[in-house]
Amino acid sequence: MIIDLHTHSDLSEDSRAPIETYLKWLQRKRDLLPIDGIVLTEHRQWNARLDYRALEDKYGILILRGAEVETDYGHILLYGVNDEMVRRFDFADVRLNAQQVVTEIARLGGIAAPCHPGRPTIGLCEHYASRPPLEGVIAVEALNGGSRKGENERVADLMARHGYSGFGGSDAHLVSLIGVCATEFDRDIGDVEDLVEALRAGGYRPVDFRHRLRAH
Amino acid sequence: MALTFDRSILGQEFDHTVFEPVTKEDMLAYATAYGETNPIYLDEAAARSGPYGTLVAVPTFAFRLRGHHFMPKSLAQVGRAGLDAGKDVEFGEPIRPGDVLTASSTIHDIYEKTGRTGTMHFIVIRTLVTNQNGMRVAVIDQRMMFR
Amino acid sequence: MSRPRYFEDVEVGDELPALKLTLSGAQVRAYAETANMPGGRFYGDEEARAEGLPGQIAPGNMSMALFSRLLSGWSERGRLLRLNATFRGLVRPNVPLTFHAVVIEKHASDHGNFVECDLVLENADGERLVTGTATLQLPSRG
Repeated sequence: MIIDLHTHSDLSEDSRAPIETYLKWLQRKRDLLPIDGIVLTEHRQWNARLDYRALEDKYGILILRGAEVETDYGHILLYGVNDEMVRRFDFADVRLNAQQVVTEIARLGGIAAPCHPGRPTIGLCEHYASRPPLEGVIAVEALNGGSRKGENERVADLMARHGYSGFGGSDAHLVSLIGVCATEFDRDIGDVEDLVEALRAGGYRPVDFRHRLRAH
Repeated sequence: MALTFDRSILGQEFDHTVFEPVTKEDMLAYATAYGETNPIYLDEAAARSGPYGTLVAVPTFAFRLRGHHFMPKSLAQVGRAGLDAGKDVEFGEPIRPGDVLTASSTIHDIYEKTGRTGTMHFIVIRTLVTNQNGMRVAVIDQRMMFR
Repeated sequence: MSRPRYFEDVEVGDELPALKLTLSGAQVRAYAETANMPGGRFYGDEEARAEGLPGQIAPGNMSMALFSRLLSGWSERGRLLRLNATFRGLVRPNVPLTFHAVVIEKHASDHGNFVECDLVLENADGERLVTGTATLQLPSRG
């Protein structure tokens, strides 16, 4: 099963992609982008009331939700977000304590996975160069569709040294960039609980579809 | 350094400027400067048979408008050293030679986030442009980035 | 005037002909002058470095104007209703640039026929310097 684990809809202030337009695009591009699901990881926010089951049924594409938060070790994707996590952390704070995020999100039933680790300033690689590694990190985003030359390549060394698993995501902020990078899971993912369990257990890898489209 | 400000300024007009009438010369100079090729913006004969029936300015001509005040007085400390982070624009009535445009600006939003170059503060300036008939010409949300 | 492009002729997924160009420093200065943004970072390398930048840059407005040129060239009778852009990297003169647009949605209503496009400006290294979207109203054959 192939899921784009890192996407932004127009709920993120720098995205202009309506969710339904993402789904229509994926349906149309199915032969090039075999994406079975997406995770909406909006910037610095969480709205527990949002429900996309009607869209899932209409388009036959799994829609899960997470968040992308900002910490003192860079940006981190949160999967398995619940009300307790929102009470514990102000998702709008751009100076969250990364170690607390990783530890507490795991304790509260989710998983916190650093994204675009190879990116300057907001990626883990740069912080690990001068600071102790975070405890409890299981997986990092090995392949990010919005990264620049060299940024994804930097992550392989990080993963090898720290034993991290790697996943992929498009980091799409535009409809036409959804699904260009994603994660292939050996098991089926039906809901967020399945996703969290799978990310902890392993049995997945990043997949790159950028070569199938016009070079962006 | 965190950007401190009084949130009551959000939505309050800080600039209201009425501009000199638009000239055909300014319209053509602007379009030529970035290499516009559509003849309805460049040639009066082509414009007459085009969708507007007359020469009109290219849509982004509205970006030229510079009001009296760039920022509210209470945000004067940010100065003019920011970088343009982007714009969201809705275009309405086309601009024609002789139009007298008015621009009214407010601070629409202020937020911060982190990126490749560090922590960034964003100030979103919303400018409503109308013509002499009160018709909406453009609504421009400009995001200015400061450190 | 070239043949007009009608709403019925457009398909989601259509890629508009890319606009490839390299801006000269003089062109950037000329645009900045007509756009009432003279001097400073848009004038030359020295002036831009004095503002803490690596060298002369093109205004974000110029990138948006060039996107509007791309759209206008594709559909001369199309009406640009919305245009947005996020400036993610500095656009420099003397660097090959490619402006891309692709149709991501089309919809018809009583108010007209509309096409939505994604916009991407990239440099020769494939770095996305500007991303955005546009909404165009196109004429109908019928």
